Amino acid sequence: MQVRFAGIGGQGVVLAGVILGEAAAIEGLNVVQTQDYSSASRGGHSIADVIISKEPIYDLIVTKADVLVALAQLGYNTTKDSLKEDGLLIVDTDLVKPDREFIGAPFTRIAEETTGLALTVNMVALGYLVAKTGIVKKESVEEAIRRRVPKGTEDINLKAFRAGYEEGLK
Amino acid sequence: MYLKLSYEIRDKYLRKDMLPTIFCPGCGIGSVLQYTLRAIDELGWSKDEVVWVSGIGCSSRVPGFVDFDGLHTTHGRALAFATGIKMARPDLKVIAFMGDGDTAAIGGNHFIHAIRRNLDVTVILINNFTYGMTGGQVAPTTLKGLRGTTAPYGQFENPFDIAELAVAAGANYVARWTVFNYLQGINSIKKALQKKGFSLVEFLSPCPISFGRRNRMKTAPELIKWYNKITVPISKAKKMSPEELEGKIIIGEFVDRDRPSLDEEYEEYKKRAKKIMGWEG
Amino acid sequence: MRYPFPVGKSDFIQGDEAIARAAILAGCRFYAGYPITPASEIFEAMALYMPLVDGVSVQMEDELASIAAIIGASWVGVKAMTATSGPGFSLMMENLGYAIMTETPIVVVNVQRGGPSTGQPTLPAQGDVMQAIWGTHGDHSLIVLTPATVQEAFDMTIRAFNLAEKYRTPVVLLSDAEVGHMRERVNIPNPEDIELVYRKLPANEEEAKYPFGDIHGDLIPPMPIFGKGYRTYVTGLTHDEKGRPKTVDAEIHQKLIERIVNKIEKNKKDIIDYETFELDDAEVAIISYGIVARSAIRAVKMLRSEGIKAGLLKLNVVWPFDFEMIEKIAEQVHAIYVPEMNLGQVYHLVKEGANGKARVELIPKIGGEVHTPQEIVKAVKRCEKCI
Repeated sequence: MQVRFAGIGGQGVVLAGVILGEAAAIEGLNVVQTQDYSSASRGGHSIADVIISKEPIYDLIVTKADVLVALAQLGYNTTKDSLKEDGLLIVDTDLVKPDREFIGAPFTRIAEETTGLALTVNMVALGYLVAKTGIVKKESVEEAIRRRVPKGTEDINLKAFRAGYEEGLK
Repeated sequence: MYLKLSYEIRDKYLRKDMLPTIFCPGCGIGSVLQYTLRAIDELGWSKDEVVWVSGIGCSSRVPGFVDFDGLHTTHGRALAFATGIKMARPDLKVIAFMGDGDTAAIGGNHFIHAIRRNLDVTVILINNFTYGMTGGQVAPTTLKGLRGTTAPYGQFENPFDIAELAVAAGANYVARWTVFNYLQGINSIKKALQKKGFSLVEFLSPCPISFGRRNRMKTAPELIKWYNKITVPISKAKKMSPEELEGKIIIGEFVDRDRPSLDEEYEEYKKRAKKIMGWEG
Repeated sequence: MRYPFPVGKSDFIQGDEAIARAAILAGCRFYAGYPITPASEIFEAMALYMPLVDGVSVQMEDELASIAAIIGASWVGVKAMTATSGPGFSLMMENLGYAIMTETPIVVVNVQRGGPSTGQPTLPAQGDVMQAIWGTHGDHSLIVLTPATVQEAFDMTIRAFNLAEKYRTPVVLLSDAEVGHMRERVNIPNPEDIELVYRKLPANEEEAKYPFGDIHGDLIPPMPIFGKGYRTYVTGLTHDEKGRPKTVDAEIHQKLIERIVNKIEKNKKDIIDYETFELDDAEVAIISYGIVARSAIRAVKMLRSEGIKAGLLKLNVVWPFDFEMIEKIAEQVHAIYVPEMNLGQVYHLVKEGANGKARVELIPKIGGEVHTPQEIVKAVKRCEKCI
């Protein structure tokens, strides 16, 4: 299963990928996670790839994504061709205007409403992704969040994740 | 001061199967080596607790002649190797025997950083104003106007004052003497060896064959007379004007302080790390 | 003993982090380094861990000083490592030669990035293979390992230390920016289950007199480390068995250098490590190493599904090199493909090994993107047609 997160620098795209990967690792699955970004820390594109499988993984980057999660128009434009024809496109409906079938929700708005920080948009999107696809268990992601986010921010990130998850269950 | 007979020092500390040395007649390195060995002898240090390090050059050949553990390394890098030795085994004493070209040119960066870190090492520096082993090229210490094969019309660059550099960089003990000042030399080396942190004892040393010959001082006595003419003891220099000091080299003890050495700081660092990570006890 | 990271279980970490943890488990207690992308993470991990395990981590003024410091530490008996990338690796060449000449065990990690010069600091490449093998001047030999996964980065680091200690030689771990920064699940074994090697020390005072002599007949002299009363003299000048400089003696030089080279060459069987995938009945072989080998494995599967009998030889050690094995493969297949992220380096070794018995084709790719399996398949099929 090839999952690609795309956005712009500052949205926490890479962290979302790392957490998804960690969750899969917690479940004992094989995972490879890589990232690509432009040199600008804020504003340039940011891409995180996560490949999850029960078998040993030889691929490195996502060539044909099963799922593409796009959090910004620039991120979407850069990566849209890597999504399979029948792949699943998840977008932040406020920020991305895709040119194909998609599902999604206003992740950034939900982040702001739930936690007051647009910065947690990555957790909201992650929650939505997990609810819609079930690639990993909710509990695995929550454990991964506890391990990976900066100390003191666990609660706020978990809150954002759960909000996205609830949205995805609708 | 009672001085043992020099062949007692020789028999105790030199590797017989490595003699004769490569040094030319009139070279000052042998004398400085003798002062260093006398200092070690008077301090009563065991041969097993000292490691000698050196770079490349005539001076750097010294560790090969002494019966201690010795690391003869690459040009200019002695202090970098010494950092590894001292930090991995802080209980060992490290002596770095180097030349002026090795220390101030290619080794310049390693020199100032070793001092900045206050690495606990004693540097015995042979300053003969030239690259002796390779035939007499100018060095960063060659005074203006003096000749070398790469500046045959007289050095046109400004020289370094290595001792001043060391003081400015933060060394704990810095002294400079000529090879003729044997009592002061031995005492300075003793002080330097006992001092924790970076210590430097620089010796103006005659190189008649590569340097002297090109500067109309073909013999060691002529060079030593010249040193006596151009050097000024620091106590006297303090009372002289900049014009009077023009062209003179100051000798004496420049600084003597006790800033903590690198390995002492690192011990504290380890304690701090364990405390921060909750690893105490 | 307590470790600052979980042991005996698996963890989801980057290649660089895996290398640092493996080094600590291998017994490395001295690290000197200089910041450089993409290897800084190794340094930062070592800086975090070393003070806690009573080791030393120090930032030197440049890469020359870094490798010098670890050589110094090795001579007082401490296992030592440094990590860098292309530009730093070039600076280390001088002292790498010194370590080879003085037979000092050290581990040097090169996390390869796009070169030459400052190049592409954040993107992977395989452009330093020939430099790792031949970069330092003079005749010499050393060991070069090439990991392709984060687990291999971990396992090969431990192997690197063991080989360095066993053969009294520097070992280069040739990683790259991709393996360095990707995250995978790594199994970290229990420290008790890891086999570690320490250098041969002299058995008695007589043996200690010959720090550079083949007194055991295995080409590896015992190492009389400093601070034990052996009064060893170590120099980069040509020296005799006792370590005394003898620079104008042709016989001594020949004997010394040939022994240093043969120390590695004659022990090829022990040092070389590789894996094969579907090579037994292959008609077309792909020879690959490092990160590219992953795409090559997938490419072999894809070619087989299209009816082409492809097989893969994955090199885990690129030096010493088993030329005879390549010749055997060349006798079996009719074409060998070498995909590399450079303009042809291991390709030349393979070509020499094949000895004309099979066509050898290079599949080069530079720019920082790893070969995709599809690209390798396409290249193989394209040339199959032009027989």
